[in-house]
This record gives sequence, structure tokens and C-alpha cells, in this order.
Amino acid sequence: MASPTKELVKTSNLTKTYPDGTHALTGVDFSVTKGEIHGLLGENGAGKTTLSKILSGILKPTSGEIYIKGNLVRMKRPSDALGLGIGMVHQHFALVRPFSAFENIVLGTDLNPTGERAKEAKASIADLAKGVGLQVTLDSPVESLALGAQQRVEILKMLYRNVDILILDEPTSSLTIKETGELFKSLLKLKEEGKCVIFITHKLREVMDFCDSITVLRQGKVTGRISKSEASPITLATMMVGRTVEFELKRSPMTPGEEVFTIDNLTLLDREGKEVVKDLSLKVRRGEIFGIAGVEGNGQTELAEAIAGIRRIAKGSIRLKGTETGGKSSSVIRRHGAGLIPEDRRQMGLILEMNLDENVILGKQRDLQFRGSLTSIAWRKVRQFTSDLMKKFEITAKGPESPARSLSGGNQQKVVVSRELSSDPDFIVAAQPTRGLDVAATEYIRKLLLDSRGGGKAVLLISAELDEILQLSDQIGVMYEGRLIGVGAAETMSRERIGLLMGGIVA
Amino acid sequence: MSLDFSIVGAISVTGLNLMVPIALTAIGEVFGEKAGVVNIGLEGTILTGAWSAVYFSWLAQSPWVGLLGGALTGTFFGALHGYVAIWLKGDQIISGVGINIFALGFVPFAIQAVWGVQGSFAKCSVCGVPEISTPWSPLSYFVPLTIVVAVGFWYLLNRTRYGSITKATGENPEAADAVGINVERVRFLAVMIGATLAGLSGAFLSIDYTGGITKDISAGRGFIALATVVFAGWKPMLALAGGLLFGFAQEVSSFATTLPAIGHTFPSVDYIFSALPYVVTLIVVATAVGRSRFPKALGTPYRRE
Amino acid sequence: MKLPLIGGGRVLAPLEESAFAALMGFFFGGILLVVLGYNPILTYYYMFYGGLGSLSNVTDMLGNAAPLILTALTFAVGVRAGLFNIGAEGQVYVGAGGAIYASYYFLPAGIHLGFALVLAGAAGALMAVPTYLLKAYRGVNEVITTIMLNWTAYFGVLWVAIVLLADPARPEKTISVAPTSRFPDFLLGSVSTSALLFAIAVAAAFYVYLWLTPSGYELRSVGLNPEAARFSGINPRKPLLSALLLGGASAGLAGAVQVAGRTTPFALYTGLSNVLNYGYNGIGVALIGRNHPLGIIVAGLFFGTLQAGFSTVQLYARVPFEIIQVIEGIIIFTVAAPELYRRFRGSLKK
Repeated sequence: MASPTKELVKTSNLTKTYPDGTHALTGVDFSVTKGEIHGLLGENGAGKTTLSKILSGILKPTSGEIYIKGNLVRMKRPSDALGLGIGMVHQHFALVRPFSAFENIVLGTDLNPTGERAKEAKASIADLAKGVGLQVTLDSPVESLALGAQQRVEILKMLYRNVDILILDEPTSSLTIKETGELFKSLLKLKEEGKCVIFITHKLREVMDFCDSITVLRQGKVTGRISKSEASPITLATMMVGRTVEFELKRSPMTPGEEVFTIDNLTLLDREGKEVVKDLSLKVRRGEIFGIAGVEGNGQTELAEAIAGIRRIAKGSIRLKGTETGGKSSSVIRRHGAGLIPEDRRQMGLILEMNLDENVILGKQRDLQFRGSLTSIAWRKVRQFTSDLMKKFEITAKGPESPARSLSGGNQQKVVVSRELSSDPDFIVAAQPTRGLDVAATEYIRKLLLDSRGGGKAVLLISAELDEILQLSDQIGVMYEGRLIGVGAAETMSRERIGLLMGGIVA
Repeated sequence: MSLDFSIVGAISVTGLNLMVPIALTAIGEVFGEKAGVVNIGLEGTILTGAWSAVYFSWLAQSPWVGLLGGALTGTFFGALHGYVAIWLKGDQIISGVGINIFALGFVPFAIQAVWGVQGSFAKCSVCGVPEISTPWSPLSYFVPLTIVVAVGFWYLLNRTRYGSITKATGENPEAADAVGINVERVRFLAVMIGATLAGLSGAFLSIDYTGGITKDISAGRGFIALATVVFAGWKPMLALAGGLLFGFAQEVSSFATTLPAIGHTFPSVDYIFSALPYVVTLIVVATAVGRSRFPKALGTPYRRE
Repeated sequence: MKLPLIGGGRVLAPLEESAFAALMGFFFGGILLVVLGYNPILTYYYMFYGGLGSLSNVTDMLGNAAPLILTALTFAVGVRAGLFNIGAEGQVYVGAGGAIYASYYFLPAGIHLGFALVLAGAAGALMAVPTYLLKAYRGVNEVITTIMLNWTAYFGVLWVAIVLLADPARPEKTISVAPTSRFPDFLLGSVSTSALLFAIAVAAAFYVYLWLTPSGYELRSVGLNPEAARFSGINPRKPLLSALLLGGASAGLAGAVQVAGRTTPFALYTGLSNVLNYGYNGIGVALIGRNHPLGIIVAGLFFGTLQAGFSTVQLYARVPFEIIQVIEGIIIFTVAAPELYRRFRGSLKK
């Protein structure tokens, strides 16, 4: 039994319920001891980020206690956590981009970055950086630094404030292999100095290689806490993805038809010119669901945007029924027979302030079926259409006039999906179609996708939900760091194998 | 026609004087916008600042009290705007428009209410502060003061800890919050300081430049200052240069109308020249925008998760 | 930028917020009156008497409401497209100039008015073109552009008024609008009534455009959620152009209404005094009317009432008429922070 003082961080029965009713964390007991690197492992939505935000004072828990170095604490703001010696490095760095690395590191301390004492401070930071192997050019603006260097600035910012507990949220997701190696060397040095590191990740290999002990979260609950010696990739993958109750969804055998949708050697760049999708190729046939699994942030968003025509293509081609649609606008792509279900229904799929009538014709506002006298929109025809969709797709709402905002997440998604399916497309791309939905709505949306497959449509499913991929897909590939890896027929893919692929391990 | 040297001198001095209100206001707004808050209400702040400077001079029989009163009026409107924009997370643009429309009514209203005259009050015997005499026309002490203010704000923003903090709240309030900076307080202070300079600009216009108050004394300078901020790429020293450019545009346009050759050829051409500063502003902004980078969090209230 | 719009939350909240803002305007305006030694109750009495006290006062009020409704539509259609278009002020000037210019032509009654309105609307729309070009291709914020254009228009129209439109007999004004090109006075013996009906018809047309046409639908979509609009295949530049052109035309018509639809003077006066500030006050009308054509008609009548009170306030209450503008400013300022009303409600409940 560890003595209480050895436990730098301890939470007891920590629960977080968001205002919209989502249970992000339920009764989480979590602890980290001095001088260890502790892995916090879990899928998207498992509660890792919520837990880390609570520990770093950004969110307040709904109930439960937090002990830091044995003392019960209540943190109101991020600086409270910093004062207690907890530093958090977010996935999206909290850096002031035009500021120099040095200015970022000392921001908020009583040091004037251009004052007399700045020189000494700079020297001591340089020493500190050298000591733990986190070299950065202190005078360069942060925005000119590579992501790896920006991360080093973030870590130095925390170390400069003498934190004992460093929380890193998915620290390797934007690093190159070399940078990752350097980061781990530094973290090991910090460990030797007696600091503890909480390492949030979904990458199994990193956890296996560098963490002393591991806590696994799934659906807001701790599913296990094991030491490195007990852990193996298989046990961790199982704990992470679990085995949820299977829905009663029958995937009848289908003989896929002709090829409808093809991507060849697609490469996409982000704003900084970094490749976010690399040389990706795939084919989807009629009567087939092609599932792309993978942890979010591995290029899926960008891929879906390129298919929908709202992201520029750097290299490669996208073809729908033989016609090149890469670089075309969304409306043209839809007219060619695509149904586009965006991953962010609230931002891209719906106009929340508008009512259902207005939302079901988004993108169809010039269609002849809704045309009235002159070129007006015949809202009576729209109303009929909305009512039909509401009936057919079991959309629960006060009526066609309720604003989309007032609907539950599941019903909002049904509005989006029904709109996209109503034009009887040959090809459907569904990005994260059930994210954040309750069980019933999830099952319903999945059933719709299966029905589309049964109706001879080609479906491209992009999902971070392993269950969903396994339930629905005929073909499965995993996206990892912009590449599509391990593509194969669903029958040849086990849950464990996909879990390993999601963690970047090509078995 | 060769230009007389004394004319050039006179134009230069007046151009420098006219630089003051635009440059001072623009420098203040640079500071406020560096903290992430836009103040469209500068026009109204200048206008009310000009009025209250005359009012307090008249009341206390001292132009110095008037200058102070004008500046503090700016502070007051800055505080109002900041309260809505920062603490109440309201709409910064609407709030600023409200201040402008208020001022558009308040100043003529108060001119009449206090002095019983319509539109302008010129008989302010105590209005007027010492000026630097030059061979051509008097130069305001506000000109060197404005230069000092520009250098001061450059120093504050680029050479002090507080400047660094202020810029952080306008670029990335989350990052500032994470290291314990009170984002709301820093922003509030920046908006108040910025508006104080606008109030002082108004005081300059009424007490120093005009020696009285008219209901349209600001003449769009608040908006030109906003454009100057963009043109200056949020840099105080360039805001000074922008103020100089627009000051000269104003002076050249009013001088050109007095040239007999032009006046005879085109009737009422002075109106066309009066439009010049605004057209110049548009052209300059059109060429400047795009290359300048604005504070990332400009115009958006900060809410912690 | 998000503006308060109809929809979402409690249905009455926007109405209550508008009413609250109006009350705040009268309350703080009243404090100011007291501080400066005036009687606020008397002032407000004459303010409303000026708009509603007699038949001629009412027609005067209607005449004030007409241009306000039109300039409010300018601002509102901009907000619906996600813009903060405050260019109505300058567009009113050029619209008035255009309507007067039409009187150099001899045309039969009716057709002549139509011609004047077309010229005014076109002049207003043309004024909006630089705003579009600078926004779409140079990324210049429309607030700066429209303000600079307002001043440019002010001096430009002053010049045109003197050089092109001056009345040879009376140097303080332009030529008068030809009788054939004036609004007809078929109701209550005033041209203001038909001018108001015209403004209401334009508001109705805006309603039809925004809610019954695909183009208006696209405009609202872009204004509410540009990302979703883009995902649905809408090119965001088209709604931008529509909003600016339609808004410009409406403000131009407001200028025409001011010179062809008021009992006097059927001309522009020195310093453009009879067309000043309608553009800026239209912003207040639009905000109080929640940027909705119907709400704008009501708010336009309300602001029209206030403004019609200017002579009675000045003459009978002996209060400078600009107090009206002061109150309008406070109203708009209050609208900026819906949170104010929420806190006020909260404190009432306790």
C-alpha cells in the first residue's frame, strides 16, 4: 500500500456530468505516484480529456474529491492548478503564436521578458532545457517553430514554473518519429528528477514502451489500472475497446456490385503545408460498406472534407461513377449522386437557428420539387416533404417549425441523414455518424446505413467507434497518421487486430 | 506656379496639428485592440470628450481642468463599452454604434442645454492652451505629446511585462488564462486607456485646435482612426505615421480649395477636396489589409469552458 | 458576430428585450433631463404629442417612419447575411440626389415617380459596390468601408447639389422635385401616407425575398452558419453581393422618400440637413425591430413617433430636440447586451 504522501495526485469518486446531460466521468478513482510516467489510455470520448481538464483546473467536477500531495483541493481556474504544481500541455498548444519562445515561457510570471533580468532568465531556461534535452531557439517566434519545438516550449513553460506533475494530452499525435523519440528521452529525465508525468494517449506501443503504470478509461469509467509488467498490447486493447452489448443488427450477405467511388493516391495538406492525408487509395462498390476505423485526428476529418468538396486536394483523384469530383463544389458532388453526412452535424450539417423545414432543404433550395410560382420556394411542398421525412425517419420534434437547436442530438442527426438519403444517392459518405448519440439513435442510424447498403448503395463509413466499424463494414481499413493501413475484408479483421492497428501497430 | 516656402511651412504645421486627434485615438485603439476589443464608439467618444473639455474648462475657468475632463469622459465611455463587451460578453460593434448615436444627440443637446446656443459654442474665453510659436502658425504642444505617447505605447507594448500580458489576452486568451492572467481585467483596462486617449483627442480638438465646440467637431476622425489602426498593422509608431498622413490629407485638401486657380476652374470644388481624406483612407486600407495580421481574438468575448 | 435574432429560447424574449431597451432609453434619458434641469415628464409628453397629438402630427410621424423603415431594411438584410452594413447614411444622400436629378426629365405623373425611384435605388445600390469589392477581394471590414463611403457621399452630394442641382432662385436649396415625380397625397391629405405605404411595400418585398426565394434563403443560411452553407454548396459571395445591393437600393429609396414624399421641402437643403442621420437611426430601428421586416415596420413607427416629436419638444417643452437621439443611442447600447435584461429579470425574481 502506497503511503499517501507518495501519491502526488489522487482522485476519489470523481464524476463529471455536462450541462447537456452527457456523463463524461463516473466515479473515477485515479492516482499517480512520485517519479512515475503514468499512461492514461482510452478511446475517443472515454473521458481522458475531461479528467485531465479537471486536474488542470479548466473544468470543475460535478462531484468527487481531488487530492494533491495528500491535500484536498478545490481548483477554480487553471492558474490554481499551476500554483499546486500541476502543468498541462494541451493537444492544441496554449501558446501566443507571434510571441517568442522565451516570452511564452515567462508569460504571466513577474519577469519582464525585455527587462534587465531577462538575460539571466534566458540563460537559466537554456540550462534547464539542456538538462532535460528540450532544446529550442528561445528568440524565435513560436509560430515559426515546428510542432515538436512548440511542444518543447510548452513543457519548458511548465518546468519554469516548477511543476511536479506534468499532464500531456496526446503529446505525440503531431510529432514526427524522431521528435517522439526525443520527447520520451526528456520525459525519462524528468522522471529521474522526481517529477511525475501523466501521459494521455491511445497509442499502445508508446504506453508499453514508456509508462510505468497505466490507467484505462472507457465510457467515463476506469476499466483497469495495471503496472507495465502486467500489461500487454492485447490486454490493453481489450480493456480500451471493451465488449459492448451488440445491437440486434443483421448484416445480410451481399454480393458487391460495380465500383462507384474511387480514391487514388490522395494527398492532403493542412494550413502549414504538412501532409495530413498521405497517398491514400480506396474503392467502394455498390452494396458495400467500406469502414475506415481509427482514432480521430489521424486525417479522417480532412479526408471527409476533401470528398465533400470543401478541402483543396494536393495530389491524387476522387472519382464518383467515373467522373472526377475532386475539387468540385459540394452541390456539384451531390448532383453527381453523393449523400454527404458531415462529422460535425451542428457546425456543418445544420443551421441550428433555422427550423426543420429550412434545414431539410439546405442544399436543395433550388430543386424543382420545391419550386413554387416564379422562382419562389413553395414552403407547402417543403412542409409535406418535412412531414414525410419526420414520419419515415422517426424524427421526434414538436413539429416542422421547431428550430433544429431544440432537437436532441439523435434527432438532429436523423434530420441530416434523412436529408442526404432523400435524394436517393448512389454513394454515401458518413463521417462519425453516431458520435455523441444515445443508444437508440445510434442503432437507428446504423440500421439506415445497412439499409442503404441493402438498397445497392456504396457507403463509406468513417468512424472512431470500433463497434460501429465491426458491425457495419464489409471492408475495413484503419487510418493512422494520414495513411490507410491494414485494409482487408471484415471477416479477416478481429477486434484486437484493429485495436492494434489503431495504436499504430501493424501486426 | 511655384509654391511659396511659407505656405509649405503653414501646411506642415497645420498638418502636424491635425495629426494629433487621429494619431492619439489610433494609438489608444491599437492598445485596446491588442487586448482583443474593438471600439467602434471612438467617434462618439471624441465628440463627447470635446464637449466635456469645453464644459469643464468653462465650469472651472481652467483649460487644464477641461483637458482632464475630456480625457476622463473618454475613460467613462471606455468603461461602459468594456462593461458590455468584456463582462457582459455583449456585442462590441452594437455597443460602439450605440455610443456614437448617443454622442450624436448628446453633444448638440448639451451645447444648447448648457449655453443656450445651437450647434456650436465658440465663446469659450478660457478655452485655449499655450502653443509653440513658429514662423508660420502656432504648433500645438499636443504634437510633441502625441509623439511621446506613441513612443510610450510602443515601449509599453514591446518592452514591458504588462505589454506582453496585454498582447497575450488579445492573441490567445486561453493561454493567458492558463498562466494566471486575469483576462477580463487586462482587457477592461486596455479599453479604458484606449478610450481615454480618444477623449483626450476630443479635448485637443475643442480646447486647443478650435477653441470651442461644434456639434460635428469629430468629423469622422474616430472612424479614420479605426482605419488607421488597420493600416498601421496594430503598431503605435505606424499609427503615428498614419495620423500624419491623414492629417496632411485633411490640410492639403482644405488648402487646395483656397487656391484661386482651382476655385475658378471648378465651382465648389472644396467639397470634392473635403472628401479626399476619406477616399485616401479607403485606398490606403484597401492596399494595407491582407498583409497586416490582426490580434487573433479580436472582437470575441472570452469565456472559459 | 452573432446578433440577437428571432428564434430559440423563450419566444417572447426578443420582444421583452426590445421593450426593456426602450425603457432603459427613456429612463436614462430622463435622468439626463433632470440633471440638466428639464422636466422629463413634460418632455416625453410633448415627444409623443408631436407624433400622435393631431392629424398633421400623425402624418408627420408617418413621414418620419418611412425613410427609417427603408434604412433599417438596409442594415437588417446585412445582418441576415452576417454583415454589419452601416452604409445606409451615405446611400440616403445619393438616393435623394438621384430622385431630384430625375426632375430634369419631363415625364407623365406616375411614370416620373417610378423613374425617380429607380434612379434613387440604383444610386444607392451603386454606392454599395465598393463595399462588396473590398470585402470580397481585399478582406476589408465593411464597417470601415461604409463609414468612409458615407463621408465621401456627404461631400460628393453636397458638391452635386451645388453644381448640378442648385436652385438658381434660392441658393440654400436644390431645385424642387417636379410635382409629377412626387408621392401622391391620396390619404389624410399628405404625401407622407403614400410614402409610408411605399416603405411598407418595400419591407414586404424584403420579407418575400428573405423567406420565400431560394436566393434569400441562401443569404440567411450564410449569415447564420457560413460553414454549413458552404458544405451545402452555397457560394458565400453571392449572398454578400445581394445583401449589399438590396440594402443600398433600399437606402437610396429612403433618400427619394425624403425629398419626394414629405410635405415639405421636396428638395435638398444646405448641408443636406433634411436627409442627415436617417441611415444611422435606421440601425436602431433594425435592432429594435429584431432585423425582421415586420418588426422594423413597428419599430420604424416607434422611432418615427419619437422623431416627429422634435419640434414640439423644442417649442413647447423647450428642450433641445437632440434628446431624442440621445435616447435612441441608449436604446441601441442596451440592445448590445441581452445579458443586461437577463440580469434585470433575475434580480426581479429574487
